Parts: sequence; structure tokens; C-alpha cells
Amino acid sequence: MEFRRFWPFAARNKTEEHPAFQRNHSWFASIDQGQPLESYNFVVFDTELTGLGRKDEIVSIGAVHVRDLKILAGETFHSFVRPHMITNATDSTLLHRITPEQLEHAPALKEVLPEFIEFCGPSLLVGHYISLDMGHINKATRKIFGTTIKNPCLDTMRLAQIYTETCWKQYQDQPNLQVSFNLADLSNDYGLPAFTQHDALQDSLQTAYLFIYLVKKFMSQGVVTLKDLFNAGQRWRKII
Amino acid sequence: MAARADNGPHIQTMQKNSVHDISPEIVLDFLQKTLPFNELDNDALKRLARQCIIDFYPKNTLIFKQDVTEVTHFHLIQKGGVKIYLKDEQGQVTLKDFRGEGEYFGALPIIQNTTANLNVETVEDTFCFLFHKEAFMELLQSAPKVTNYFLRSMSEKLVRTAYKELRQHRVSMRTEGSLYLFSAQVGAIVKGEPQTIDAEDTVQNAAIRMAQLHIGSLLVKDAGGEIVGIVTDKDMRNKVVAQGLDYQTKIKWIMAKPVQTIDSHAVCFDALLMMMSRRIHHLAIKKQGRITGVVTTHDIMVLQGTSPLYLFREILAQRRIEDLYQLSLKVPLVVRSLIEEGAKANNITRMITILSDQILDRLLTLMIEKMGAPPAKFCWILMGSEGRREQTFRTDQDNALILEIPEEPARRQNTLEYFKIFSDEVIEHLVHCGYPRCPGNIMASNDDLRKNLRGWKLAFDQWMISPDPQEVLNSTIFFDFRAGYGDATLAQELRKHLCAEAPRQEIFLTHLAKFCLNTRPPLSFFKNFIVEKNGEHKNRLNLKESGLVPFVDFARIMALKHGINETNTLGRLQLLHEHRHISQELYNETVEAYEFLMQLRLIHQLHMLEEGTPPHNYINPADLTDLEKKTLKEAFEVIRRIQSSLNQQFHLREI
Repeated sequence: MEFRRFWPFAARNKTEEHPAFQRNHSWFASIDQGQPLESYNFVVFDTELTGLGRKDEIVSIGAVHVRDLKILAGETFHSFVRPHMITNATDSTLLHRITPEQLEHAPALKEVLPEFIEFCGPSLLVGHYISLDMGHINKATRKIFGTTIKNPCLDTMRLAQIYTETCWKQYQDQPNLQVSFNLADLSNDYGLPAFTQHDALQDSLQTAYLFIYLVKKFMSQGVVTLKDLFNAGQRWRKII
Repeated sequence: MAARADNGPHIQTMQKNSVHDISPEIVLDFLQKTLPFNELDNDALKRLARQCIIDFYPKNTLIFKQDVTEVTHFHLIQKGGVKIYLKDEQGQVTLKDFRGEGEYFGALPIIQNTTANLNVETVEDTFCFLFHKEAFMELLQSAPKVTNYFLRSMSEKLVRTAYKELRQHRVSMRTEGSLYLFSAQVGAIVKGEPQTIDAEDTVQNAAIRMAQLHIGSLLVKDAGGEIVGIVTDKDMRNKVVAQGLDYQTKIKWIMAKPVQTIDSHAVCFDALLMMMSRRIHHLAIKKQGRITGVVTTHDIMVLQGTSPLYLFREILAQRRIEDLYQLSLKVPLVVRSLIEEGAKANNITRMITILSDQILDRLLTLMIEKMGAPPAKFCWILMGSEGRREQTFRTDQDNALILEIPEEPARRQNTLEYFKIFSDEVIEHLVHCGYPRCPGNIMASNDDLRKNLRGWKLAFDQWMISPDPQEVLNSTIFFDFRAGYGDATLAQELRKHLCAEAPRQEIFLTHLAKFCLNTRPPLSFFKNFIVEKNGEHKNRLNLKESGLVPFVDFARIMALKHGINETNTLGRLQLLHEHRHISQELYNETVEAYEFLMQLRLIHQLHMLEEGTPPHNYINPADLTDLEKKTLKEAFEVIRRIQSSLNQQFHLREI
């Protein structure tokens, strides 16, 4: 595999793939997109980073299960992560209200990631601007375990863009280019319950609210299967 | 974290690093602010929060379909709102309720283990917290406060589903009132001595006896006469016939023991709860340690009759004054169904008046039967809102007597004594019927308020000629008198006198008009509501004093001025309009505004009665919908117009 050229240290792990990843890969070797949306299990997650740059590290992961398009508020995951560069961590303190002590005693990604992957199980992953979170997670798994996770992903930001666009079409309005697709702004615009606390878990819950809201709105517009939802995204991209 | 239970080695690290005990804050915070969950301790709350499932229903989603949906979850509305409605076989829809944030639905079908009893449909995009029925039942069993909250707040629905079969025998009624359940004592609804059978007697004899008496249960007594058990229809069916027992089996082998009892002072609702929680249909009633009767679920259901006609007939059929007490308490139930059917306030207050008149009529008739024929002609007159036929709930008594007092001293003495006792007793019975005493002692039991016709004429003349403003104010309610019972010609005679005299009493009328102008409409310069600034009713608006009274006063003054003998406010306005004393425009506005205010007050008071608080006239403008607020403001605007009309007519200056 190509990455070995960039990460020579990873080669040691490669010979025996971590069991969590083995299972992960077997689940997603093939996926039937033709089933009704409510029959899929989803995990909505969010990560918090030391910053927004490529070199920044994950400091916490929060996630919640969505089954039958309902949020299971008790089936959640939350963990802090000890970053390699503790200096980075202090920068994030203001942003996430995480104390350096919390991070110092936190487990390393090496421990947290397999657990997170276990928690997700055979679910599809959902996040707000998920490519950023997945980028960081897979960068880390590649580095530590020499492989990546293969869960299909859905982006609530993209779904919100599609939804907003279909609403414009219905009302034959001019698109409002000023609309914000930030999680809090969208929640507010759609009239979703307000969240006061912010950490990875709360944000993942808020994203889950946004997710079931959007999916059910799409369903009332005729979307039935996972494939329909993916296609809706395709159409939108063509228009842009 | 049930999903991760198999994940042994990692759990510890996870818990150590979790900021919180993985109880979702958004659920916890919400439950802590929501009745009755805020009663739970922290651990119970956290346990519950972890079992929460969050669901989203777009606007117009039918969440529960009546008689079809299997209810698997208790729903608590986090954001949004639903409407709850019934659909009968003909497809007719009766709206039952709107529920919003912090309110719930689905509790009853879970408790009853039935399908949805009503339709529930979202009226906005709605997020709900769902708790699986097992989690909900577990909560009910572990937290009595929570249980009580649910059972009390849904008694109406409780009755509906639990006794569905019984309802089917009473198809005509669409509403069941919960109110009566909370006020009627079980002791009061039981008729007759308990029927008993010896423990040594046979099941066959028991069945024969039950068939003869048309009853579904017998109490079982031992040789010493002590009640030791109960035998019911169900026992006959399940324990004798189904088991193939010999009909000569002794009762003592099949009876249920000990007998479940309830204190005779307990209200019917508690009896109902007890029967439901123990899944039994009969309870023995205990009074001072002695069993005095048996109450059944059917007895309680029969209490629920709400048709006005039914109540009217019932009142007429009573042979004992004491039996009227309970019937009188049913009046609000009738009102409820009338409101639901869309009746206007004016019709409702008239209906209440008719029923009250009927109770009074029956009461006085029975009283006369008891005391013997009265020694002289008399007329029981009603005043205040009763006199105007504008009664709502719990109207204070305002009554008096017009008598023909004989000249001859012995007969005169006899007459006065008769009516003193008569009045005292009637007032007492009326109190038991739910009409509180008049705080100002304007009641027939007051010696000053039993006069002959001449005495009354003098009294009215005195009030009209007397320039004392306080006297004028206190006497206004007398001017709304009408005949309630007895010889109506006496009251008519007095009214005739008044209609002839009043229009000439300009000083008196001007005083009345001035009082009317004293009431400022509760709108500030910026047309916001002016609410009470202090005290128990802070931030509330007194609907009666600042809303209804100016209209009543206006109609009274104008009626007196123009010699109109009607007492009902809307009736007075109509006659004034027909005789062209008020303009078409003012008439229309006044009627609309007055009716709206009455309607608002009625619904407000009904709501309070159903919540178990004594009705008052204070409302919080913040509780009103925007449309109601707007209409209310317009109604208050009309008060300004009637006041300026009075100003012109009586040449008063702006005060």
C-alpha cells in the first residue's frame, strides 16, 4: 500500500491488522444502498481539535447512536484524547473549555480509536462537515494502525445545503447567499432545540438533531432509500 | 453505555475520562425543569435520561391513530406542539387539547395497556423525548409523586378508556367530566344498605340472590355477623362455573378476602384509582369502622352524565333536599360540554341560570312540603348576577323575600316566624348546593331583607332619593332583582313601581353614571394591559371589575333611565337599541365585547375548577393567545366608548 512510503513506522503494525479494523472492513466490503433510510444505523459524531490546521490533533471525540431515525440519548460515547504536543492542547483550552489536566490524564488516540470504532460498529457515520473529522481520524489510524476505517459517511452540512436549495425552489425565491451553514446557525434557523453547552458530545447530539430533522424533511419530500439521499446530493452538485 | 458492555478492557479508561456520567445534558436539563420529573432525585433522573430516545416529527405527522397505534413509548414534547382529537364512527372530529413544550402524551394507553385512545397529530415541527413503556412503568412504580401527578392530571382520559364498555352504553355523551370525581365522596353516592350472605351458604343461593337483587356482588358475613369477604359476578364465572365446581360449594371457599375497603369520606377519584390499581370492580365503604355499602366502577361511571336535559330531569325527580347537593355540583359538567359544542357565553349563563332556578324551585318546594303551607303569599327574589340571569360558577347568593304580612298580630307573628325559619334553612341548603353566602349579607335570612311590598317600595325610593354615594353604590345589585320562586306578581308589582319612579330620579342616575366612569378601562396610553401591580394577583387582570362590570353598569343605568323592566344585560341592551336609546353601532360593539369577556371568564373559570382551584376573575394576559389579546384590547376600547356615551347623556365632565 502506498502510504508505507510516507509512514515507514506504520509497517510494523501492518502485518497483524487490529481486530477492530478487520471487522470494520468486513462490514463495509459492500453496502446495499437500496434499503429504506430508517433501517440503517447511524452514529453521529464530532471531534474537537487543537486548531483548524492540518497539523492539529484530536483532543476529544463525542458520538451518539441513531437507530430507526431516533436519537438514543443514552448510547453515547465521549472521550478526551491526550495529544502528542501538549503545547497544542493549551491553545485549545479557551475554545473548548478543556483543562490541560483533563488532557494530561486522558488516554492516547491509540487506545481511544479502536474503542470509538467498536462503538460505531456497522453504523454509517454522520457529521457536520464530516470530511474534516474523517480526515483527522483516518490520518491518525493510518499513522497508528496502518489502515483507515471504511464506514460510509453522510455530511449534515451538505444535507442542509440541499434542503435549503429545495426550499428555495419550492418558494421560487432567489437563493439567499448569505445563509450560514454553521451548526448553531442552522439549528437556530430550523427551530431546533437550543444547546447551551458545547463539547464534542453535545455537538454530536446537536448534529444528530439536525440529521433526523433533515432526513425526515427529505422523506416527506419523497426520499425513501439511502441511495435516494445520495442522489439528492448528486443533483445538487450538478446545479452548482 | 449498554452498547459497549462487551468492550471490557476499555470501559475503565472511558469512565475515568468522561466529563459527565454520559447522561445527556440536554435531556437532563429539560427533565429538571419539567413537572413532575423535577420531583425525582438526581440518580433517578440520570437513569431516566439515559433511557431517553429523541425523535422528530415534521408538522402534520399523525403520531398516534386512535384505536390503532400500539403505544410503546411515553412522549414528552421537547419542542413544538401537538393537537389531540377524537374521531367518532361518523368521522366527526372533537378537538380535545393542544399540548406544547414540557407536556406529554401516551401515558394513559401505557398504563391501561391499550391502543392509543386518541389521535395525536403535530401542529408544528416537533421534537419529543420518548421513554419506553417499561421504563415509564418502572418510574411510576418507584416514584409515588410522579405516579400521582400522572393519574390526577389525566383522570378524564383514565375514565374514558378504562371504562370504555360502559361508555358505549351512553353513546350520546361526548365528554366526561373529571371534576365531579374529585368532589363527590364515595359515601354519598351509595344507595341503600349493603347486601350480605352467610359464609356457610351455597354459591347457588348467592347467585340466586344476586339475580333477584340485580346486583353484581354480595358481602359475605360470618356467624358473628362480621363482614369477612366479598363474592362477585366474576368469582361466580371464574371460580365456580369455569372450574366446574359444585353449586352447593360453600361461599366461604370462593369468596375474595379480606374485603378491600375505602373510607366513606374518600372522593370517588380515589376509589377509582384504588380499583384500577388493584384491578377490582368493587370496594366496600367503611364509615366509622362499619361497612355501610359497596361502590362499583359502574356507580362511578353513572356520575358522569353531562347532558343538561338529563340534569334537569334529575333535579326534578329528587325527593330529598340533601340529594340536590350532589346534582348541583354537576352544573359545571354541563357547561363544559356546552362550551365544547361551541355555545356562546350568553346561552351558557342562561343555561346555568335555568338549572340554578330549577334547583331553587325544587329546594323551596321540598322545603314547603316539609314545613307545611306558608301562612301568607310570598316571593323569593333573586338579585345581582342571579337576578340578571348571568350566573357563572359559584355565584354568591343574593336573595331576599317579598311577603304579604297580615295585619292581625297573632297571624303576623306566625308569618314572620315561619319565614325566618324558612329563609335560614333555605340559605343553609343553598350553601350545601355550592352557592356561597353573600359576604355583604344580602340574603333572605337577613331580617331587614324580608319586607312586604310597601316596605320594599319605600326602600327603593329611599335609595333613589338618598344622595349618599356609598348607599347608591351598595344598592345597585338590588335594582337587578327578579322573581325566583313563589308569587311572581309581587316582584312584578315592585318592578312596575321602579320603572315608573327611576326615570325621574336624575340625581340618583347621575350618581350611578359617575360610578361607571370611575372604572378606567385597563389599557394604558400605549394600549398595553394594565395589570394588578401587587398582591396575590400581581400581573393579572381582573376580568370582572375592569371588564364586565362597566357593561353591566351601563346597561343598568340606561334601563333605569328609560324605564325598561328587563334585568339581563344583553336583554337590556337589546331593548335599549329597539327603543333607539343607543345607536346601532354602539349596540353591536357593546354586545360583541360583552359576550367575548363573558366567554373568556367562563372558560377561565371552568379551567380553574378542573384544576381544583376555586374560580376567580383574574387572568394573566400572558396566557392568552395573540388573537385573544387583540380581541380583549378591542373589548376594553368599547368601555371607553360607553363611558363617553354616558358622559354625553348625563352631561358629566371628564373626571
